[in-house]
Amino acid sequence: MFKDRFDRLLLILLAVAMSALAVLLGAHAPNGDNSRAPAGLNKALEQETAYQARVALLQKLYTPVETIQKSGDLQGALFRLDDLARTYPGEAHSYILKGEILHQLGAKEEAVASYVQGIKLSGDYIDRKSPLSRRAEIQRLTDEGVKEIGSRAKANPGNASLAIAMKNVNYLQSRLAGGCE
Amino acid sequence: MNLRDRHLWIVVITGALLGTLGVLLAVWGNPENSGICVSCFIENSAGALGFHDNPRMQYLRPELIGFVLGAVLSAVAGREFRSRGGSAPLPRLVSGIFLIVGCAVFIGCPIKLFLRLTAGDLTAAAGVIGLVAGVWAGLRGLANGVELGVHKQDQGGSGLLVPIFFALLLLFLLFRPGFVLSSGKGSAAQYAPWAIALSAGLLLGALAQRSRFCVTGSIRDALLMGLRSYMLWGFMAFCGAAVMWNIGSGRFHFGLFGQPGAHLEHLWSFLGMGLVGWISVMIGGCPFRQLIKSGEGDADAGLVVLGMFIGGALVQAWGITATAAGVPIYGKVAVLVGFIFILTTSLLCRERTA
Amino acid sequence: MLTALALLPLLLSGCDDKGKRPVMRIGYMNCNNEQETTKRFTPLTRYLSEKLDVEFVMVPVDTHDFEKRFREGEFAFTHTNSLLYIILRENYRLELIASDKRGNFGSRTGGAIIARKGNGINKLSDIKGKRMVFGPMLAPTGYLAEYDLMLRSGIDPEKDLAYYAIPSGSYKHEKLVYGVLFGQYDVGAAPLLDLEVMTREGKITPDDFIILAQTPIIPYCTFGAAEKTDPKLVARFRKALLELKPSDTVEIDGERVKVLNAAWADGYEQLLDSDYNPIRDMARRVNMPPYQNY
Repeated sequence: MFKDRFDRLLLILLAVAMSALAVLLGAHAPNGDNSRAPAGLNKALEQETAYQARVALLQKLYTPVETIQKSGDLQGALFRLDDLARTYPGEAHSYILKGEILHQLGAKEEAVASYVQGIKLSGDYIDRKSPLSRRAEIQRLTDEGVKEIGSRAKANPGNASLAIAMKNVNYLQSRLAGGCE
Repeated sequence: MNLRDRHLWIVVITGALLGTLGVLLAVWGNPENSGICVSCFIENSAGALGFHDNPRMQYLRPELIGFVLGAVLSAVAGREFRSRGGSAPLPRLVSGIFLIVGCAVFIGCPIKLFLRLTAGDLTAAAGVIGLVAGVWAGLRGLANGVELGVHKQDQGGSGLLVPIFFALLLLFLLFRPGFVLSSGKGSAAQYAPWAIALSAGLLLGALAQRSRFCVTGSIRDALLMGLRSYMLWGFMAFCGAAVMWNIGSGRFHFGLFGQPGAHLEHLWSFLGMGLVGWISVMIGGCPFRQLIKSGEGDADAGLVVLGMFIGGALVQAWGITATAAGVPIYGKVAVLVGFIFILTTSLLCRERTA
Repeated sequence: MLTALALLPLLLSGCDDKGKRPVMRIGYMNCNNEQETTKRFTPLTRYLSEKLDVEFVMVPVDTHDFEKRFREGEFAFTHTNSLLYIILRENYRLELIASDKRGNFGSRTGGAIIARKGNGINKLSDIKGKRMVFGPMLAPTGYLAEYDLMLRSGIDPEKDLAYYAIPSGSYKHEKLVYGVLFGQYDVGAAPLLDLEVMTREGKITPDDFIILAQTPIIPYCTFGAAEKTDPKLVARFRKALLELKPSDTVEIDGERVKVLNAAWADGYEQLLDSDYNPIRDMARRVNMPPYQNY
C-alpha cells in the first residue's frame, strides 16, 4: 500500500492531521474548570433553560386560576381559565387544568376529552418525572372512565357519542401505559 | 435440520437473547414494549445529534452503537470484515428512509413488532400480517427478477465509514459534548443504564453477526423453506423468550386497548409493516440486519443505515410518525409514497427474461 | 319525437326536484324571541334538508305553547330545553335524538345562585330574607335546578326569601344577571352557560359576582322526534347532527353560513334518556311538570 513517495507523503499528511486533531481536542477538553470551556454549543443547556422558562411562565399565568380552584370556587376558576385560553389558544396547560376542574365538577366525559386535547399538545403532563406531571390525577380519571363510561358504552353499543368518549379513555390508557412518544 | 450443527444453536441462542434482552432492557428503564426498537432508537439518536427538534425524542441510544460495533468486533475476530458495496447506492439510501417511515407509522421496527405481540398487544397483529405480506411481495419481486445488483469487493475502504461513524458516536456517548442533546422528558428520557445498554448491544451485535439473524429473513426463509430454516427456529426462540420474560416480569397485558405506544388504525399498521417487509427483502434484511451488515463492512447496508438516520429525522420533523392518537395524514402520505418508490424501483431494476 | 322523448329525462334531471321531497316540520322552542330563533336555526334546518333530502320547515314556538302545539301534531321534530323534553317524553313518548353541545360542559350545563360581590352575601344561607330573581319557570338551569338546590339546602323560596321575581319579556337570563349586578335584586338564579357567554363577551367579569352555590350538571337543549316518526329517518337525522363539523356551511340568501356557529352549538351528542333522570328527580322534588301534584 505505501510503496511510493506519494503514498509516504499522504501518510505523513495524515499523521499531521490526526496529531493536530488530537492537540486541538486535548487543548479544549473540559477539565471541570469552566473558564476554559469553549463558548460554543451547549444546546442541551439552552433547551433545558428554555423549558424551565416555559414552566415558570405557566406557573405565573395559571397560579391565580389554581388558587381560585383550591379555594373551592371551581366555576370561578373555569371562567378565568376560559379567559386565559382565549389569550393563549392551543396552550396545553389550559386543557389540562380544565380537565381537572371538570372532573371535580362531575363532568367526566368532558374532563377526559379536555385531558386528551392537552396531552396531544404536550406529553409532559403524563410523564412521571416532569415538573408539569398530572399523571396521578389523569390515572384516577382514566380508571373511573374505564369503569363508568366503559359500562355505559358496553350497554349501548350503537351510541356514537359513548363510542367517542370510550375512544378518548382508551387513548389516555395507552398514553399512561407508556411507549415511544 | 441437523441438531448437531453449531450454526443452528448460534441462531437459536441469538434469537433467545434478543427476546430476553428485548424485554429486560424495558425492565431496566427503556420505554414499555421498546426494550429494543431499531426505528425508535434511530429517531432518538437522530434527535440527540440535532437532526430534529422534538424535545421528547433526543437520546443517543447506546444499544444502537453496540449493535454496529459488536458486529465489527465479531466480524474482525472471525475474519469476516470485508469492505464491499457499490450496488444501487441511492435506491438503498432512499430505502433506508422508507424503512423508518414504515416503522414510524406502525410505531416500531420488526423486533418491536414481535416484542409488542409477545406482550399481549393485539394491535400488533395487523402489523404481523402486513410484514408477512410485505416479505411475500418482496419474494415475488425477487422471483420475477427484481434486483438492486450485486455488491463488489471494494478496495477503497468505503465499508469502514459507517463503523467509524458509530465509533464517533461511542465517543459522543462517553464524553457528551455540548451539542449532543438528551431529553429530560418523554420516552427518550426512559433508558436503561448506558453501560448495560451498550453491553447488551455489543453482545447482540456480535451474535447477530455470527448467526446472520434477521426478523424479516426468518419470515422469508420460513416462506421458502418451512421448518428446515434455522432462522425460523431462531425467530421462535426470540418469541418464546420474549413471551416468557413478559409474563415473568408482569408486562404481559392481553388486549387491544390501552397498550403502550400503539394505535388502533390497523390498516396503516398493516401497510406500514408491509412496506418494511417488502423493502427489507429487496435490500437484504430488516433494519436490525442492516446495522449488523454495516458493521461487517457492507457499504450498501451502510447507506441504508444513513438513510434510516435521515428517515429518523424526517419522521419527527415532518410529523410523519404515528402516535397513540393515530396516524397523521403526512404519515399516510409517506407510506403511500414509499409504496410508489418500491413499485417504481421494482419496475426499473428488473431483469426481464426474453 | 323519439329523440325528444329519449332526451326528456336528461333535460329534466337538471331541474330542482324539491317538490318531490317530503315536507316535515321542526318545532324550535324560542329562547328569547321568534326572530332570534329563526336566525339561529334556519341554517341548521337547511342543512338537515340537504342532508336528509327532506324539506324541513322550521317553526318557532313559545315555550308555554310548545306542548299544546306538539300535541296537535303541528310538528314531528322538536328542539327544546331538557325539561320540556322530559315533559314531552313522559306525556307523549317523544324519542330522544341528540343534545346540543355548548360551553365547557359539552351537552350538559348547570345553574348557579349568584350575588354581587361586596353586598354582604357570602354563603347560601345568607340569602334568607333577601330579594331573588329567577329565570323563566320552565328553564331547567334558570329556575328548576336552583329552586331544587335551595330546597335541598333547607331554604324554601316560597317562605324564606323577602320575595322572588321572574323578569318579563325577552332575554330573561341576561336581565336577571344585570338585575343582581346593578342591585335591583340581592341574588339570582343564573344559568352557568349564560354567565360563561356574558363573560366571554365582556359584559361581565368573574370578579363582579360570587357563586354562592352551583347545581349538578344536567343535559342542555335537546332534539326529539314524535313517537310515530319513521325510525330510519330519525336515525338519519341523528347521524346528520352528530356528523356536523364547525366548518360545515349552507347557503342562506347567497351567503355561506356556518351551521354550528349560527345555531350557537359546538356540536351534538347522543345522550341516553337515563342521563335526564337528575332533571326528573328535580322536577319531582320541586313539584314541577310533568310530575306536579295539584
